[in-house]
Amino acid sequence: MSSSDDTRTERAGAGDTVVEALGITKSFDEVLALDRVDLDLARGEVHALLGENGAGKTTISNVLAGIYRPDAGVIRVDREERHFRSPAAAIEAGIGMVHQHFRLIKPMTVAENIHLGWADTPGVITRTMLEERTARVMDEVGLHVDPAAEIWQLSVGEQQRVEITRTLARGARILILDEPTAVLTAQEARELFTVMRGLVAGGRTVVFISHKLNEVLEVSDRITVLRGGRNVVTRPTYGATPRELARLMTGEAREVTADARAAPGDQPVLTIEGMTARGARGSIALHDLSLTVYSGEIVGIAGVSGNGQTELAEVVAGLRRPDEGRILIGGVEHTLSSPRRVVDAGVGHIPEDRLGVGLVRTAQVRDNAVLRSYWNSDNSGRLGLHRGRIAEFARRLVESARVQTSSIHATAGHLSGGNQQRLIAGREALIADRVFIANQPTRGLDVHSTQDVRESLLARRAAGCAVLLISDDLDEVLEMSDRILVMYEGSVNGEFRRGAADRERIGLLMGGHVAEAELESGAR
Amino acid sequence: MSVAVGSRSIRLERRLHVDPRRSALIRVIGLLASLVVVALLLAITGRDVPVLAGEILDTTLGTSFGLQSTAVLATPILLDAIAVAIPLRMRLWNIGVEGQFYVGALAAAGVGIYVDAPGPILLVLMALAGALGGALWILVPALARAFWNVNEIITTLLLNFVAIQWVTWFSIGPWRDKEAEVVSATPEVGARLPVLIENGILHIGFFLPLILAAAFFVVFRSWRWGYEVDMIGGNPRAAEFAGVDVRRRIMSVMLLSGALAGISGMVHLSGASGRLQGTISNQYGLSGFIVAALAGASFVALIAGGLFIALLLASGVALQGVGLSVYIVLAVYGLALIGIGVGEMASRYRLTIGDRREHPVGSERGPP
Repeated sequence: MSSSDDTRTERAGAGDTVVEALGITKSFDEVLALDRVDLDLARGEVHALLGENGAGKTTISNVLAGIYRPDAGVIRVDREERHFRSPAAAIEAGIGMVHQHFRLIKPMTVAENIHLGWADTPGVITRTMLEERTARVMDEVGLHVDPAAEIWQLSVGEQQRVEITRTLARGARILILDEPTAVLTAQEARELFTVMRGLVAGGRTVVFISHKLNEVLEVSDRITVLRGGRNVVTRPTYGATPRELARLMTGEAREVTADARAAPGDQPVLTIEGMTARGARGSIALHDLSLTVYSGEIVGIAGVSGNGQTELAEVVAGLRRPDEGRILIGGVEHTLSSPRRVVDAGVGHIPEDRLGVGLVRTAQVRDNAVLRSYWNSDNSGRLGLHRGRIAEFARRLVESARVQTSSIHATAGHLSGGNQQRLIAGREALIADRVFIANQPTRGLDVHSTQDVRESLLARRAAGCAVLLISDDLDEVLEMSDRILVMYEGSVNGEFRRGAADRERIGLLMGGHVAEAELESGAR
Repeated sequence: MSVAVGSRSIRLERRLHVDPRRSALIRVIGLLASLVVVALLLAITGRDVPVLAGEILDTTLGTSFGLQSTAVLATPILLDAIAVAIPLRMRLWNIGVEGQFYVGALAAAGVGIYVDAPGPILLVLMALAGALGGALWILVPALARAFWNVNEIITTLLLNFVAIQWVTWFSIGPWRDKEAEVVSATPEVGARLPVLIENGILHIGFFLPLILAAAFFVVFRSWRWGYEVDMIGGNPRAAEFAGVDVRRRIMSVMLLSGALAGISGMVHLSGASGRLQGTISNQYGLSGFIVAALAGASFVALIAGGLFIALLLASGVALQGVGLSVYIVLAVYGLALIGIGVGEMASRYRLTIGDRREHPVGSERGPP
């Protein structure tokens, strides 16, 4: 990125205003989501929208993209007042949005997805014609994905490129990317940034929604910070510091957890020996992997996602059967234990896909609170549930985990993302007497929720629990872990003590460059 | 969704929270509205609506016989509705209750005709046979769903036609009542459910769905099994995460559903019809299905809905009795269901009427 920094400062502020939003107000039921928000976008800039969950970033974007109609306020595109009745009207004016959750049809090809519902699609089509047209469009916008591939075959990063291509093909000059890096690996995020810089170099405007400070500082020209549905500031990126932005975002200076921590114990709590296991598609995901986590220790797993991290978590949690190897929890063999026996052995697990696996969104908070403990003697007898005790437990959990909910009878799906994760993390922390597995525990969370979840990991550590932290966020791994293991193609590819870790070497190991990393470490 | 009327715009907004009491009230309003439409249509075609209404009330609620026949009609509908509601808690659709009802009746008839035992014991044996028959009829769809993820909607539906053919074949073929020279039915079964009132038709089977609904209400409220089924219905992957054996639950829920539908067939056979024939079910499975779906698999709402549908069907008989064509009767039935269905949808939305001047960025002009 260093080479582009210079050109970026030059370009900042150079473009004309293409979109102007003034006094945008929008409320849902009685909740005011946007309160007189102003936003101006210049041609040829990456404009970051920064804010915590619920700050209004996505809402203002949806207003610009014609998905929501504001209750009050004016939108001007090229100095002309516009009222978008639909996303189609917005894209006709040149504003297109790529949503956080992709809207692609998985069993259809890239070419078919790009042409679906597009006014330019010819009336009579053939497969080859669609693929040729797609290749041409991709050449024009400078993004490349195999037009004949079906969506489900693509990586998340590639799917995102299809979404971007689809939006650009429809004539978007202003491209809004809603939390585009939340689903990407570090590598893919970097590639996306290159794409974004290329787009603005071509005169387009990119709105980049994020709450990751480093990314915003790295890629944007200007930053607008929102908090609680209001403007806080709009400023050039040049000269901004992470500390300042964090303060603007949260409205307070939150101290990073102090580093005064006790040394880990010397009791091995979780031991994995020679583990080989297959992934969901039947290919080998873990290959002869061994690791040990000691009591009172956080072991962080760094790695590009898809290198066996999730399978590792699932094997330990009893959700996936290994082909070979052993798992010992507190010295007791649990290699083929059922998920329930693993829970009863004191293993808590924050799953990667928290909505898909960790919660029943249609069920009450109360029922979700005991999802992983309803069978124990506190909560039920042989047949019947102890409803009173379960409600009591849920109330205590909601309070201790700081879940903001109107009542334990509220539906879990109505909680915000941060509160859903607080509920899961709190529930699993209570289970984790011996081992706590946290897979991407703070992905997509705002600063406050992230802090709460990390504190619960540290609290388990302090209580002598063995914590296995899997995260794509290298900063998180470095900050939290006593020991860092790098995973590559299903095995541990490198190990670092806290403080002795070197980002560059970790990066090389994550990419499988064993020899180079070792060479370099030898040279030191 | 939004409609502009004059200077005002009317919009439908989805409600975040749906109050069940409110939802029930709106359904009743929807039903009443559709009855008003029915009354208007009948009035337009020159019928005397008050007289018709009086006739209906007399033949359904107004007389002991009317009440009894409504209750007899309600029994298989309610039992079938319970059979549908249980897998529906898990988001499994048993469209095959009709077929399981038939096979249950067939198995019960076989026992009832050919086994010689004292009345009460014979009834128990018939009930067991009915439950087994119904469970057997859903066994293959249940296995296919649990182990190969084959959609149960198709498999259960298709087996309905097979079941009806079997019953027809048995009742006009090998099991036909040759002595009485009945052409299309078997002899009467050896034991009948006791009737509640002397010389009446209401049998004790009517209490079975009421007891079962209360029992399952409790099971889904405070039993582990019910909790697990509900969690699977909400998110099967989360249930697996919680260590629930989802396949086993699919099997138990579907077999239970089939067994209940089979018992429904046995109850109707031994309580009402007495003989097995190809037309033993007057589409009770379909009615039960509609009741369970409209009740949202709630065991309380299901009882109210089932009794009401039985009342509608009984009214239909009354209307036919005074010379209305069967098609008009069916249209009345359909309209009433639509009314409830629309009410159910409507309770999830709110209507907002806003002055468009409050929404400057609303929609004065069309798209450029």
